Amino acid sequence: MKISFNWLSELVDLSTLGATPAVRAEKLAELLTRRGLEVEAVERQDTGFENVVSVQIIEKNPHPQADRLSLCKVSLGQGDPLEIVCGAQNMKAGDKVVLAQIGAKLPNGLKIELSKIRGVVSNGMLCSEEELCLKEKADGLLILPADTALGVPMAKILGRDDTTLTLKLTANRADCLGHFGIAREVAAALGVQAKRTLVDSFCKAQGLGNAPIKISLNAGEKAPQFYGCFIEGVKVAPSPQWVVKRLEALGARSINNVVDASNLVLWETGHPVHAYDADKIQGGQLGVRLARAGDELPLLDGTSVKLTGEELVIADGRDLERAIGLAGVMGGGNSEVSDSTSKVYLECAEFDAVSVRRASSLHLKKTEASHRFERGVDPQGLKAAMERFTELVLSLAGGKVVSAEIAQIPEVQGISKKQPEIACDPLWFEKFLGMKVSPEEAKTILEGLECRVEHLPADGWNVSPPSYRLDLRIKEDLAEEIARSLGYDKIEETIPDLGSSPRSIGVSPSRQGFELQGIAKDLLAAQGLCECVNFSFCGKKRLEEFGFASDVKVINPLSEDHEFMVPSLLPGLVHNALGNWHHHFGSETLPIRLFELRPTFAFQPGKTAVASEQNGLETGVQENWKLSFLLSGPKFASGLQQDLGEIDFFDLKAVVERLFQGLGTKGVRIQAVSEGSDGAFHLFHPGQAAEVWIGKDRAGIFGLLHPAKNLALKARGPLWIGELDWGMIAKLSRGVTASPVFKPWPQFPTMERDFALLVGEAVTADKLTQVALKAGRPLAKVSKIFDIYRGKQVAQGMTSVAVRVIFYEDARSLQESEVEAASAKILESWKKELGVQLRS
Amino acid sequence: MIIENLKLIGEKTLTEVAEASTLATLDEVRVRVLGKKGALSEILKGLGSASPAERPVIGAAANEWKKKLETALDERKVSLEQIVLDAKIRDERSDVSLPSRMPHRGSLHPITQTTRKLVKIFSRIGFDLNTGPEIESEYLNFDAVNIPADHPARDMQDTFFAGPGVVLRTHTTPVQIRTMKSEKWPVRILSPGAVYRNDSDATHSPMFHQIEGLWIDRGVTMSDLKGTLSFFARELFGSETKIRLRPSYFPFVEPGAEVDVSCFLCRLKISPTCKVCRGSGWIEILGAGMVHPRLFEAVGYGDAYLREGLTGFAFGIGIERVAMLLHEIPDLRLMYDGDVRFLSQF
Repeated sequence: MKISFNWLSELVDLSTLGATPAVRAEKLAELLTRRGLEVEAVERQDTGFENVVSVQIIEKNPHPQADRLSLCKVSLGQGDPLEIVCGAQNMKAGDKVVLAQIGAKLPNGLKIELSKIRGVVSNGMLCSEEELCLKEKADGLLILPADTALGVPMAKILGRDDTTLTLKLTANRADCLGHFGIAREVAAALGVQAKRTLVDSFCKAQGLGNAPIKISLNAGEKAPQFYGCFIEGVKVAPSPQWVVKRLEALGARSINNVVDASNLVLWETGHPVHAYDADKIQGGQLGVRLARAGDELPLLDGTSVKLTGEELVIADGRDLERAIGLAGVMGGGNSEVSDSTSKVYLECAEFDAVSVRRASSLHLKKTEASHRFERGVDPQGLKAAMERFTELVLSLAGGKVVSAEIAQIPEVQGISKKQPEIACDPLWFEKFLGMKVSPEEAKTILEGLECRVEHLPADGWNVSPPSYRLDLRIKEDLAEEIARSLGYDKIEETIPDLGSSPRSIGVSPSRQGFELQGIAKDLLAAQGLCECVNFSFCGKKRLEEFGFASDVKVINPLSEDHEFMVPSLLPGLVHNALGNWHHHFGSETLPIRLFELRPTFAFQPGKTAVASEQNGLETGVQENWKLSFLLSGPKFASGLQQDLGEIDFFDLKAVVERLFQGLGTKGVRIQAVSEGSDGAFHLFHPGQAAEVWIGKDRAGIFGLLHPAKNLALKARGPLWIGELDWGMIAKLSRGVTASPVFKPWPQFPTMERDFALLVGEAVTADKLTQVALKAGRPLAKVSKIFDIYRGKQVAQGMTSVAVRVIFYEDARSLQESEVEAASAKILESWKKELGVQLRS
Repeated sequence: MIIENLKLIGEKTLTEVAEASTLATLDEVRVRVLGKKGALSEILKGLGSASPAERPVIGAAANEWKKKLETALDERKVSLEQIVLDAKIRDERSDVSLPSRMPHRGSLHPITQTTRKLVKIFSRIGFDLNTGPEIESEYLNFDAVNIPADHPARDMQDTFFAGPGVVLRTHTTPVQIRTMKSEKWPVRILSPGAVYRNDSDATHSPMFHQIEGLWIDRGVTMSDLKGTLSFFARELFGSETKIRLRPSYFPFVEPGAEVDVSCFLCRLKISPTCKVCRGSGWIEILGAGMVHPRLFEAVGYGDAYLREGLTGFAFGIGIERVAMLLHEIPDLRLMYDGDVRFLSQF
């Protein structure tokens, strides 16, 4: 909200803040911010007009060196005349013009410095309206009226002497949505009174006689009060200059004297009011009722809304059949004040905050009025607002009050009397806040804020806040008032007593989960992967591109690219790679190594996204954390071309294996994929992908992005990707609290045997080693493949595989003959179970 | 005669040894002269035809030559070997300025690094950790934390909805409620995590990260809040850092405060060109306050609040905000681009 410094100065004495208005405005901004009314900006209207003054041309001579320039002698009214070089042609000796003196910085940013123009010194610049940013385009200098005094600051001539403060008001301070509210706040801070003189034009007209328009309330507590005033003989016209300027300072536009009056009331009191063309009100009836579903209501802004029945409307006609205003939001186009209006009907009412808020959001009409009503207006502030409104209309547009009426539901009297009473212990504030504050100080502060402090017989207080402070309801609210009045800087700094000892990491699953995620991230970073964070939403197109579907949909997405909650992190990672390639130039292969550990979203089986009744703890959405990764590019970060190589399946497999090793995950197996085995199976090259199993559960898949997909995406290189179920991994990993247990290594020499085997296509390395270890029990401890060969030397469809088996016993040395016997058994099993031959 | 021959052969061989330029030539000379069928052996074979008086003389001379030649051969071998080794070493010279075969360097996202820093700092004063789902019920996200339906405070956070009564959480405050509902006080927890708001520009992201802290116990004061945050600020930004509290409004706390820390770059010297604080000397960094009693009611701590003086404080820190300050990141959007030029810097 913007406030005018000059206006505020009329409502509260600010002279103690500083010597000049500029200093006072700055101090005021500091004071308000310190009290919780944050001032975002302080804008002086004279910015750009310092050192810009009125002068008179006393001589105009041609420039000695340039035909198109002239040399003017100007007078500031006192002191020596100044010589100015000028390029304009429209002035003559005797004209009063505007001089930007040395040191001026014009509104367009131009700095005026002492300069030589074609060999002649110019002591400033004579300005056009364009240079002063008063017009977009101007030919020649601005010639001031002949009666202009000399040496007068331009800001004063233009009436730009106000300062605008922009406040970032919090939603609780409805009482500060008008200048008078701010004035009250400042007055409390300075220990003075806010001042406002109200003429009782409205009150004294009450009961004048037969009101031409009768008012009625038909919405119960949703519209508890309505003040109406009929004025005839008004002359709708443009507002006087002071009104225009005042509205301009607030960033508002002047419309006409009647509408401007209503806006001035809103900006002063914070209470929205409205003026109708009384001749347009039908049936002599005006009332508040709930809207009728389906009715059309034309609004002041030229749009029309279809009412749902939930809104409050102002209606006229014998049976209030016609809606003429969306109550608390905007007046109707069918009862608008126009240039030909001669009778006006003024409204100042109280509407229910929730009803106004609903109507305003339903029809997407956020107005100054709805902003205030939905935050709550002062139920006892209507009279003052109406007095000011009546007075302003009479003074700006003339006319005479015909009738003044007040309608209130019976409960209003009761409600306004029943102010909340906050019981509190005056000694509690000091304890709770941790700052020195005596009961006397507390009382002074609260009374300064117009709270009534009543001493109870037993040491306690009953505090009644003023009617406009709807935000003061509990003792903590009062504590804040005290703290902000004394200044938050007076609160001490203490470290709380731990009271109970911190819990150990092992106790909290969240803590363990966080630590375990940390280990996984460290392991991947150590293997040269960079962590990335992608948004959790994506578009339908992206999902379809990867053959995914998501049932968790954002109802009000940022755009169609943010419509669905991701079911997988892989599409995001693949697009990260494409993005990186997009800005990569040159012939070198770009290393792209990424990982992400974030949740994916799906409905729990059989559920939809509806919050359940159990205290709202369940939503039907299941969050599955995934650990996903992507590799592409050379094996090494640097080196000669021939050494760099390109990543292949086994580089990716190493990343996965190292991860599980580091996490201490139990029971991990990596095996070939089978059709339809995993939700993301279709994304992978079927011969270059593997599944991860943990125990009996499938925990993920990794491998080469399918070549067809790769082509379709126009990827610039092969992409090695994978996605693991983090939830499952986390459950079966060693975690942070368990320490690895020492295992002794063999104390006696080991023996090795190497076998060159011819194997068929169906036989995997895993099977070879498994069979060897089983058949060679108990001596064979390790079996590994160390070479494979396919080609001319072996038959088509066969592979030559070199297997090494290592034998040992923990407690003794082995005999040559034992190893021979074990080797023979291994060979036998290979032949029998896998059809493997020794290569001759 | 034999003596002369010996001398002839011996001297010729010495020349050959001296001239041998490879180990192979040298070996050939050794075999030709000293081998079983070598020249020296051949001469000694003719010893039988010599007179008995000559024999010892010839024998002695032959042995002398043999020793002499062996020494010469050995010495030459050593020097030739040295030459070969020198050549090998010369050949094996590497240009050490050539590029190394370096493994790739990975990195943790600045959000993760910052979260870790914050968790570590607050862990020192006994904070535990708790997390919760990113999709929450409207009840937990709003109603339970004193933001009732149709309240203007809901406008403070533009909300994404995933269904009737289901929202993408706008803050991690629901974790506070979950924690208090499931545990008895005292409570000291941090809740880091992703949150969502329907807002997107250079300084707002529709998804970002927060870490909230909650301390509930009997007699916790607002000065405890200030002391705790002051400790945090000193740990994160250096021991000279000061904090400043300004009154503000968050529905789940009362009193509420915005908290600024003194600029860690210009140290309150207030230089208008300071790229961190832009001359204000202060950096807005978090929101905080004393837990609103309505939250105690919502979680079943109402009695303890009324009868046992249970109070508490809470604070919320934007992780990206801190990360941008610490790493001088100019644009929030860089965080979510997956650009390796960005990610690999941290």
